[in-house]
Amino acid sequence: MTDTFSLLFAVLIFPGGLFVIALGLALKGVERRAIARLQRRIGPPLAQPVFDMIKLMQKRTLIPDTANALVFLAAPLLAVASMAVAAALIPVPGLYAPDPRLGDLIVLFYLITVPAVALMLAGSSSGSPFGAIGFSREMAIMLAYEGPILLAITAVALHAGAEMGQPIALSLSEIVAWQRAHGAFLLDPWMWPAFVTYLTFIPANLGIVPFDIPEAESEILEGPLVEYSGPPLGLMKLASAMKAVVVLGLGVALFFPAGPEGLAGLVLFALKCLGLVLAVAVLKAAVGRMRIDQAVVFYLKWPEALGLCGLALAIWHA
Amino acid sequence: MQSYEIPVGPLHVSLEEPMYFRISVEGETVTGLEVTAGHVHRGIEYLTTKRNIYQNLALTERVCSLCSNSHPQTYCMALEDIAQIAVPERALYLRAIADEIKRVASHMFNVAILAHIVGFESLFMHVMEAREIMQDTKETVFGNRMDIAANVIGGVKYDISRETSAYILHQLDRLEPILREQIRPIYATNRSITARTKGIGVIGLDHCIDYGLMGPVARGAGHGYDVRLAAPYGIYPQLDFEAVSYPDGDVWSRAMVRLDEALVAISLIRQCLAKLPEGPLSVGPLPHIPAGEAVAKTEAPRGELIYYLKTNGTDTPERLKWRVPSYMNWDVLQVMMDRARISDIPMIVNSIDPCISCTER
Repeated sequence: MTDTFSLLFAVLIFPGGLFVIALGLALKGVERRAIARLQRRIGPPLAQPVFDMIKLMQKRTLIPDTANALVFLAAPLLAVASMAVAAALIPVPGLYAPDPRLGDLIVLFYLITVPAVALMLAGSSSGSPFGAIGFSREMAIMLAYEGPILLAITAVALHAGAEMGQPIALSLSEIVAWQRAHGAFLLDPWMWPAFVTYLTFIPANLGIVPFDIPEAESEILEGPLVEYSGPPLGLMKLASAMKAVVVLGLGVALFFPAGPEGLAGLVLFALKCLGLVLAVAVLKAAVGRMRIDQAVVFYLKWPEALGLCGLALAIWHA
Repeated sequence: MQSYEIPVGPLHVSLEEPMYFRISVEGETVTGLEVTAGHVHRGIEYLTTKRNIYQNLALTERVCSLCSNSHPQTYCMALEDIAQIAVPERALYLRAIADEIKRVASHMFNVAILAHIVGFESLFMHVMEAREIMQDTKETVFGNRMDIAANVIGGVKYDISRETSAYILHQLDRLEPILREQIRPIYATNRSITARTKGIGVIGLDHCIDYGLMGPVARGAGHGYDVRLAAPYGIYPQLDFEAVSYPDGDVWSRAMVRLDEALVAISLIRQCLAKLPEGPLSVGPLPHIPAGEAVAKTEAPRGELIYYLKTNGTDTPERLKWRVPSYMNWDVLQVMMDRARISDIPMIVNSIDPCISCTER
């Protein structure tokens, strides 16, 4: 009974559910403010994403006649639910280690792709041509960036496994524990290609310029989101804020989980995410959007090569 | 692959004005384009024959916001032609100054929107911030940021004192380095911009002739036609400048033409302020306009603007018609969009800088 309770607590309160929502929205607020400052604007208040969410939750839901209502409404729920579970799989170094029964690195990897799949479902079920274009773009870019991140994760798993005397380490909590005892992978030059590959994965997965192509606002009117309104739109935005925490938290766990125990560990975790978000903000302010073909070629070329290089190094070193 | 239709417009985030394109696409590639003109008919041309000649000055100013000086100026030139009014030299200089200030603001607006469409928001903010220098200048000199009401029949109704002249020069000294040393190099070399704009929406010199293209669209394809040089009016024969022209005919060239023309316009304002002679501002209030007809043309920011005016001796014009450059330019979208990608559509549309409020008169 207590087991069920602790699992539910992990998914719904901490670190999934409430915690990841709060941290995600806070990071979003900081990101918007940081970009505004980089562009010499004042920017919105830090709580603006929260205000937006409250506003959207109070609005009416419109379902277009051409939409498949069931899929159209299920997609946002799917995205949020998958992120709540995914967040429960992310260790908060020094404070929380995920229960092995919830899943391992492979499950987490699949869960991270779910919001993208939900976005595709949303795009194709909305009945709007812009949604359809967003769907095909999301699919193209997903196929391009999934390869490199898989290579990077595999490299870390192999490397950690070799260090621990196993063929491969698929438990994130073990990877974190080993790094906290023996030093972060970020300080290990053998792991740098994998780390850079992970960094290139962030903007594409989070839909940030220059890879916000599936939702390109000035081209296809936010693509899959064009027909959404009210709470479903809010959930979509919420899922993307939660995804930011999951993706950044995965990076923290894989490469630099060092830090104190207890609540101080939690604060440091949030600060590490914040650091990555600020880096993302600089990127977002510094470049324009790519075209879908350019982005796909980019991912199949550089991150893919880096990822292979990182994997080769991990195998050779092991 | 099956082709399907997407509507761009009548309201689309990256088009500032209502226009409607039905675009057939196969995957990401455009295979057909139907320009649906006349989506918002304004009836403003008809309205000019219901107002008197002097009221129309205010009406033509409101045809368009970004070229709101070109319209009344061309209208005045047509009237002055009919009434054989010789505009005082000082007024001609002041007209050129007003026109060139508007040109800088208009061109900078267009290239800023290009950055916005590319998703390069920082550059958009930077260009718009620099453009504010010109907006401030307009507000200080003319008292308004968009409709500057500089022209009257037979002259101008604003004056530039020694103080104002020093102020304008100071503003130009602020803007020019930003434009020359920051903004232009970014558009010329930044990968985010060049990767999205070079080789996109290409037209050739023969398209310029066939479609009768105007303004930066033609000059971006090597057709150096500029009314200020080809059919000089006002004070332009006495000013020293050359038509800007780029050979490639793509989106990037058109943006570069606009940036370079903004710099040329700044130099023209400097020349006008240096040469500004003393003298009256206009020939006096409400001159009588006899019966007659005239055609006047000027170089608006978007290209050649033609006004045809027929009067019958009363105070109401019998017919007033204008042909705006966007009317000539938007047909060539068919050529530019052929086999383009969906992501290029807003950029190509923006690159001809369409002014729907002028065109749907």
